[in-house]
Amino acid sequence: MRVFNIIFKDLKVLLTDKKTLGLLIIMPIILTTILGAALGGTFSSDSDKRAIKIAVVKEYDFAYEKDKFMEFPNNNFLFQNMNQEQLKGLETYMENFSGEFNPEEMFFDGFLDNNDMKKMLQYQVLDLEKAKELLRNNEISSIVILPEDFIYNMYVNFFPLPYRNELDIKIINNPDNYIHSQIIEGIMNSFAETSDISIIGKVTYFETGIDEGIDMMTLSNSEEIIQSFYTIIEEAKVQIEEENVDKQKPLSSIEYYAVAMTAMFILFAAGEGAYLLLEEKDNLTYARMTVAGIPKSLIAIGKYFTIFSFTLMQILVMILYSTLVLGVDWGDKWLVALITLCTTFSIAGLGTMLASMCYKSGNYKMANAFSSILIFLLALIGGSYIPIEVLPKFMHNLSNFIPNGAALKAYNSVMLGDNIIQILPFLLSLIGMGVVFTIIAVYILNTEGGIKNVKYNSAKT
Amino acid sequence: MSLLKVNNLKKYFKEVKAVNGITFDVKKGEVFGLLGPNGAGKSTTISMISTLFNPTSGEITYNGESIVEKPKAIQQKLGVVPQEIALYPTLSGLENLKFWGHAYGLRGSELNKRIEDISQVIGIKDRLKDKIEKYSGGMKRRINIGAALLHKPDLLIMDEPTVGIDPQSRNHILDTVLKLNEEGMTIIYTSHYMEEVEYLCSRISIMDMGEIIASGTQEELVDIIKGQKKINIKLDHVDDTLISIIKTIEYVEKVETHENEMILTTQNGENIFKDLISKTAETESNILSIDIKKPNLEAVFLHLTGKALRD
Ligand SMILES: Nc1ncnc2c1ncn2[C@@H]1O[C@H](COP(=O)(O)OP(=O)(O)OP(=O)(O)O)[C@@H](O)[C@H]1O
Ligand SMILES: [Mg+2]
Repeated sequence: MRVFNIIFKDLKVLLTDKKTLGLLIIMPIILTTILGAALGGTFSSDSDKRAIKIAVVKEYDFAYEKDKFMEFPNNNFLFQNMNQEQLKGLETYMENFSGEFNPEEMFFDGFLDNNDMKKMLQYQVLDLEKAKELLRNNEISSIVILPEDFIYNMYVNFFPLPYRNELDIKIINNPDNYIHSQIIEGIMNSFAETSDISIIGKVTYFETGIDEGIDMMTLSNSEEIIQSFYTIIEEAKVQIEEENVDKQKPLSSIEYYAVAMTAMFILFAAGEGAYLLLEEKDNLTYARMTVAGIPKSLIAIGKYFTIFSFTLMQILVMILYSTLVLGVDWGDKWLVALITLCTTFSIAGLGTMLASMCYKSGNYKMANAFSSILIFLLALIGGSYIPIEVLPKFMHNLSNFIPNGAALKAYNSVMLGDNIIQILPFLLSLIGMGVVFTIIAVYILNTEGGIKNVKYNSAKT
Repeated sequence: MSLLKVNNLKKYFKEVKAVNGITFDVKKGEVFGLLGPNGAGKSTTISMISTLFNPTSGEITYNGESIVEKPKAIQQKLGVVPQEIALYPTLSGLENLKFWGHAYGLRGSELNKRIEDISQVIGIKDRLKDKIEKYSGGMKRRINIGAALLHKPDLLIMDEPTVGIDPQSRNHILDTVLKLNEEGMTIIYTSHYMEEVEYLCSRISIMDMGEIIASGTQEELVDIIKGQKKINIKLDHVDDTLISIIKTIEYVEKVETHENEMILTTQNGENIFKDLISKTAETESNILSIDIKKPNLEAVFLHLTGKALRD
């Protein structure tokens, strides 16, 4: 087939260009290795070294907030109409509850000291000043602040009544350590969220009860019900732990950079692709192919698959190198393959679109400016230069709709053990972009109007 | 028998009338020359014949079929050597030949055989594995030609294939053209070197400013300035008396002098020598040598346009 010869030739042309090869394949390998090694310490299996160090600052007053919780019925209209006996019962119940359930223990012993968590997280409880000092000296990655009312809110949230307060855990991050910060945020979110889930369960339970007209206090006095709430608390604990076991396998620096570099350098492949058509025109080989009867569509399809194959090769090289040499685990190989295909599809579309634009503009200066600005913007928005979090808020979601951004998130997601449902939005976004880019490319090449810009001889004499 | 016919062909680029109504035909088996100065419209004509440009108006037929309507009619039969190198500079000569062979549908052992033959023809066997960008100008030109020959075209168009190369490569290319023609290939050769066209072509069209100003065999063209001869005379010295006496000789139309040399343009000057020698004898000058130049295409072009083919 003719098209294979064209692709084969285009790839050869691309691969004989040492500069391109260096930039597109060697460079990401080197950068990943250097960045991963410099920022990570990840080569060691020593858990102590690998664990992220944080400080926990307690801004709450345990005893005071516990008392405040015990006062809770006095300030609440739900309990206004209770008789002496009922209030006495409630008090006993709350005493039992607060004796049984200790939010501090739950957070520290149950959550942070959990065996799996300990592998990746080392904490010390400090006051804020001391913690900030350590953060400044890069001795810890983050400070987790358990705010005033943390204990009170935890009691309220877990107490079997239809109330729910925001936990509002604060995190101060070390800006130099992006990955660690992300992990800490992830962990704290998961704690808050998991508490949330069990709390929502609790609220729903009561709402149903009230709807069905069951007397509140009959409910709370019932041994059975009390027991069931202990179970909820137990389950909540279990849930948090479980979630951390299989979800929060942290991304190491090397893993993060392997993905980030791949996502960035495939963009450059698209940028390089931008010159493919223009170069043919300039070399007069475009004209020669036309004379040989090769239609423009075939030439363009050739470029498309050239960029496709090159990008695929780039990603495979990165995956292989980072897996075999750097020990990166990219996660489920079928999902990785799927993401790779979708990513390659969108990059090939992007490259061909750029190629057709540059071809149309007809000169290198324009092509240069155009593709480098676009590629820069995409890399920026996609979080290849700086963490997305630093960008203005409205740009955060934008990264889902550009090829490198969606690819980065999808790969990261699979590394963290997500399944196909969770990465589906990214895949659809990648495919969608590929389709849109390709349509634009076809449109531009069609409006180009015959072969009027093709010259076999330069107009010079 | 005409293989290619061009009828009232025009190509305008906005205001530039690059080709402005030319008509000619190329017969099977001949070497047809398109001679003209820079900017005459030769390459534009060739681009239209090779289906690269659509004509503004006019017809081109190959074997009786319109190639404007049906480009396929000519594409597989045609080999084009473009005026400028149209190759992939970072690929080797061999890789380039392979690709262009593929482009014309050649495969496998057949392709390899053709590459072997062609590299023999263009004389570039030992450097075939080197990258084109490492080649000299002459070698690039040879590959540029070779790429057009792989598929054994019936019609070969060469657009100034010898521009800017060393005399050795040039001679090689000219001989290659003759050899290919002997093997039966029809060739259109454009140039602004009249010696090349004189050496190669059986029939010639002279182009200037988008138009064909004369066509025919070399003899027919020279006939346009029939009888006109240029005579170079070297003397021991030249003075005004001599010049005025020479001017009185019948049939002498023009006298130019360069130091001790006189160039006479004469018409029907069969019997001019007797007068020339006797009249000179009357003066103080002595003739050292006489050289009669046959009229050539350069002279024809000069005669028709009043300007030289090259500056
Ligand atoms: N693509 C183009 N756009 C505009 N003008 C053009 C184009 N191609 C050629 N011309 C103009 O058409 C005229 C004829 O050019 P052409 O290249 O056909 O001449 P040529 O006989 O091949 O000259 P040379 O010997 O220098 O190669 C020139 O004035 C040239 O500037
Ligand atoms: Mg030309």
